[in-house]
Amino acid sequence: MTIVPGSAEELAECLAEANARNRQVTVCGNSTKDRMGGPISPSDVTISTRALNQVLQYNPRDLTISVGAGISYCELSGILAEHRQMIPLDPPFSDRASISQRATIGGIVAANTSGPRRRLYGSARDMVIGMTFATLEGKLIRAGGMVVKNVAGLDMGKLMIGSFGTLAVMTSLNFRLHPMPAGTRTFVQDFEQMAGVMAARDEVLKSRLQPAAIDILKMVGGYRLAIQAGGSPAVLDRYSRELVRARVREGAEEDVLWRDIREATPQFLREHENGAVVRVSCLLSDLGRVLEAWPVQASARAGSGVCYGYFEQAAELRHPATGTSAVEFAPQGFRESTELWPRPGNDFAMMKKIKDMFDPRGLLNRGRLYGRI
Amino acid sequence: MIATGALQQIDKLLGPRGYLDSADDLKLYEYDGSVDKALPELVVFPRSAEDAAELVRIAHLHRIPIVGRGAGTGLSGGVIARAGGIVISFARMNRIVEIDLANERAVLEPGVVNLEITQAVERDGYFYAPDPSSQKACTIGGNVAENAGGPHTLAYGVTTNHVLGLETVLPDGTPMSIGGKAPDMPGYDLTGLLTGSEGTMALVTGIIVRLMRQPELVKTLLAIYDTVDDCADSVAEITARVITPAAVEMLDGVMLRMVEEATHAGYPMDAAAVLLIELEGLKEAVEEQAEQIVDACKCCRAREVRIARSAIERELLWKGRKNAFGAVGRVSPSYYVQDGVVPRTKVAPTLREIHRISEKYGLTISNIFHAGDGNMHPIILFNHHKPGELVRAKAAGDEILRFCIAQGGSITGEHGVGMEKMELIAAQFPEETLDMIARFKRLFDPECRLNPGKMLPTGKGCMEIRQPVGMQI
Repeated sequence: MTIVPGSAEELAECLAEANARNRQVTVCGNSTKDRMGGPISPSDVTISTRALNQVLQYNPRDLTISVGAGISYCELSGILAEHRQMIPLDPPFSDRASISQRATIGGIVAANTSGPRRRLYGSARDMVIGMTFATLEGKLIRAGGMVVKNVAGLDMGKLMIGSFGTLAVMTSLNFRLHPMPAGTRTFVQDFEQMAGVMAARDEVLKSRLQPAAIDILKMVGGYRLAIQAGGSPAVLDRYSRELVRARVREGAEEDVLWRDIREATPQFLREHENGAVVRVSCLLSDLGRVLEAWPVQASARAGSGVCYGYFEQAAELRHPATGTSAVEFAPQGFRESTELWPRPGNDFAMMKKIKDMFDPRGLLNRGRLYGRI
Repeated sequence: MIATGALQQIDKLLGPRGYLDSADDLKLYEYDGSVDKALPELVVFPRSAEDAAELVRIAHLHRIPIVGRGAGTGLSGGVIARAGGIVISFARMNRIVEIDLANERAVLEPGVVNLEITQAVERDGYFYAPDPSSQKACTIGGNVAENAGGPHTLAYGVTTNHVLGLETVLPDGTPMSIGGKAPDMPGYDLTGLLTGSEGTMALVTGIIVRLMRQPELVKTLLAIYDTVDDCADSVAEITARVITPAAVEMLDGVMLRMVEEATHAGYPMDAAAVLLIELEGLKEAVEEQAEQIVDACKCCRAREVRIARSAIERELLWKGRKNAFGAVGRVSPSYYVQDGVVPRTKVAPTLREIHRISEKYGLTISNIFHAGDGNMHPIILFNHHKPGELVRAKAAGDEILRFCIAQGGSITGEHGVGMEKMELIAAQFPEETLDMIARFKRLFDPECRLNPGKMLPTGKGCMEIRQPVGMQI
């Protein structure tokens, strides 16, 4: 049974009722990331936030917006673009023709997915300034607010980011907005060896340039460095002068290049039913070694320290020796039988306590998160 | 009184020079940069994270309240030992443990002074972004507890955007490592939860921060206005024109004159208000934006826009801004700083309301604040020797903050709730939110011994206060 509440209050009531009847709940938006994280135990009821898709408050001059958790990133970006503003999260699963197949902003924040421009703009934890979430007790809790600087009370919103719906259900989210740069330009350079691409990346990191994105793609036969800069024509020309060895990509060609990078994971999963995506958080200095160790195609947010390895057969996946590695996407059967996350540290006990505080009987998205919380 | 058994254990752990317990010494630890006071019973100085963890275990064993303390520059009473007990000072845990430029990280003990981080890496072309005005004295541990900000947070974000991992000790003495040098560690973001928890949930003994590349060019502009409204309108105009300065600071006429007399920074004495604007980034971007800013300010009737010609001129302009509280101290026996936030478009009406409140209470209120992100710092001048002035100052502050809340803003942008605004937080958040915060507090600190009596309204927290609430100057 799938319930699609039309308001935050209705959603909170649904949760309270499920809690009262001791029902297992699957929480979702548009369910674009079903193969991500731990497999959810069979549930009695599915609650989707997809009808909570309104813009609740938007004054472009304040550079903030409040939206329902069910609005798709694609639609939200369109509304902001009219005012030349943006939420530069670049999440995957956003570029689909059908609205019902596009990632919702609630799902994106719950899964803490992000994309190439996190080098300059950060991830959800740097853009979310407030939220309302519904608890199993049927309460609506407001955290943060609609101003960009705010330290009143505990920053409970941070806990919800990346919590995969295991604590509560986000019903609305407030973001700080960024103005769109006047223009963008992308610089692409290919390398045969890992050492070459890493040296080129290091040169950019140590330069005065402040690119929005620094990605590395590991392909058959070599590595590709893709750098995106934003700014006025004079600024972009400066990048052209400094990155003189790279090929320039602009306009439609540039858009396609970054769309393919953003959507690499969904595209891979569509083509490889038994495939798995491994994600590694690592030091910038270890990133080359992580990419090199994988015998498969891979990509990296090379200015942030996140790598993705694409294994066509989940059974063949390998964890690299460095960094913190987790299986991000895999087929259902594989996820049930394999340990997906690194061994918990001494902070896991507190995470468990927090889960128990919100959801003592493990009713919400059971098994989806780290340590099968 | 600290139990003899506890004192013996502490003496054994730290030696006789590792703690203070005489009445004269303790007096120095009864206050911070705000207006509240309470005496601790013991101040201890751990030299390592192990010392700190052992001290927390001893306090747990003897059921003694503990409060962590950095430099005591906080502005909300965050380190006041309201329930007495032990103050754990991080003055001797002030080592920069590791600087890792290749990975853009630094590992720090909590007692490291904010500015020392940048000083340690600036020769290599890096800096640590959050820059509270007290950055020459305040410590990174305190910055983490309060989620500190500063002028340049407009472009770079506040402390929480720059902290990646923490070594902590829970109130029962259990060590807990969270986050790390790499981003997005699995599980819940406890680093994000604890940053800004005002030292009420876990004691922080180690911090991993992000280092950033220094910008190629910095340009500082001073825009001078004959009316406050024109000045405030310029802030909105700059935002509307999609210019993104690193800092936009506003000083009103009252503040200008106090600052100029104290610092001789070159501010105009007869202006109604000025904007101090800083642009950072690539040479090409900064030069273009400087022209755009001059145009935007002139459009909003700026009398004059000056551009600092040299590093010395630039530093002088900032010296005026960063020494502002000192300048106020020269003219007024006491002052009360507020920290409300309003949406950027509400800066002008908020300044008008502050002016009205100033007249209503018969108190001078000067304004110096982070206009770019709507973070107001009205400074209420009063004389604590005059009967009733303190009460009036407090009432005026409350009224300003209630106005901020009504504008859709917040009672604190970077100073924290502490004990100063713990009753007022109930006006900003619904009951359900406050209850949830209280549940988190109990989850981490069931005996309510870690920095008790902060952040939540009386009755919502979990303890009885031995020291009375209220300012005792």
